[in-house]
Amino acid sequence: MSDEKLEVINPPNALKQKVGTGGPGAVDLEALERAEQVIVGMTDSYLEWVIEDLKKIEAAYQKLAAASGDRKEEMDGVFQISHDIKGQGGSFGYDMMTAIGNELCRLIERADKIGPDEVQAVKIHIDSMKLVIADDMKGHGGKAGEEILAGLQKICDKLIS
Amino acid sequence: MADYNIEKLKFLVIDDDQNMRRLVSTILISLGVKDVSTARSVDAGYTMLQKFEADIVICDLRMEPQDGIEFTDMIRNSDDSPNCYVPIIMLTGHAEKTVVELARDAGVHEFLAKPVSAKKLFQKIKSIIENPRVFVRTPEYFGPDRRRRQDPDFKGPERRKPHS
Repeated sequence: MSDEKLEVINPPNALKQKVGTGGPGAVDLEALERAEQVIVGMTDSYLEWVIEDLKKIEAAYQKLAAASGDRKEEMDGVFQISHDIKGQGGSFGYDMMTAIGNELCRLIERADKIGPDEVQAVKIHIDSMKLVIADDMKGHGGKAGEEILAGLQKICDKLIS
Repeated sequence: MADYNIEKLKFLVIDDDQNMRRLVSTILISLGVKDVSTARSVDAGYTMLQKFEADIVICDLRMEPQDGIEFTDMIRNSDDSPNCYVPIIMLTGHAEKTVVELARDAGVHEFLAKPVSAKKLFQKIKSIIENPRVFVRTPEYFGPDRRRRQDPDFKGPERRKPHS
């Protein structure tokens, strides 16, 4: 590529005029902590959302279990909800939901085929998510959480290796 | 961390997941932002930007029918783009290199991996405030300069001098 084909542009910087520093309203460490606490205060809402997501992923699983052929469309349905669950859990202190969602997404993305073993593995992941919420396992779930996750990782590794 | 006051900044949050829109908006408002708009699709977000002059757009990567990469491409390259320079923070559930590279190559400023927290989001906003990026236009690419750091070992021609 010749130099003439590269144009470098300094775009107008509107942020500079709008952003102040210090004073009331500035985002200091205390303000950040307050914002984190606002998220903690949303936990009840999160639990309502995730219960809805668990109903949706169960319904998506039922479609997957009843399907035949390559099951790709049905698996995509499971993936989308799992991806949402993965994206939200950790924000509200439910890191296990993010971790299990991550394992399920990894399985779906990397599995060569979608056979009975993969379908069964999906069910185990969904049941684990339900257990985390039913038992209110916050954070990484301690020893029980470690064991659940290790078991799921073992299943995934076996199916995608 | 510098104590920036960001209450005058306008944000647009684009995510097809209603709960993520609520979460990100709540964080922004908690950080003092007064003007947050949300959109549930790329199409709706793009249309909204024609009227709502967002200073920063926060956009989810994985959406249907169009995703965050397509949104970024539309903003940077469409003839009717409302603001081809607007900084974009891409929300990702994926940390996979290829996806991140695709988004970067479409012209994304920052990536924010889910799950989101107030600290992580503010860190990305702060990075955009503190490191205004020059844009480059080549036959193949238009967007923020992808070479973000000075590389002492860079041996190529120095072409990134802004036109005065």
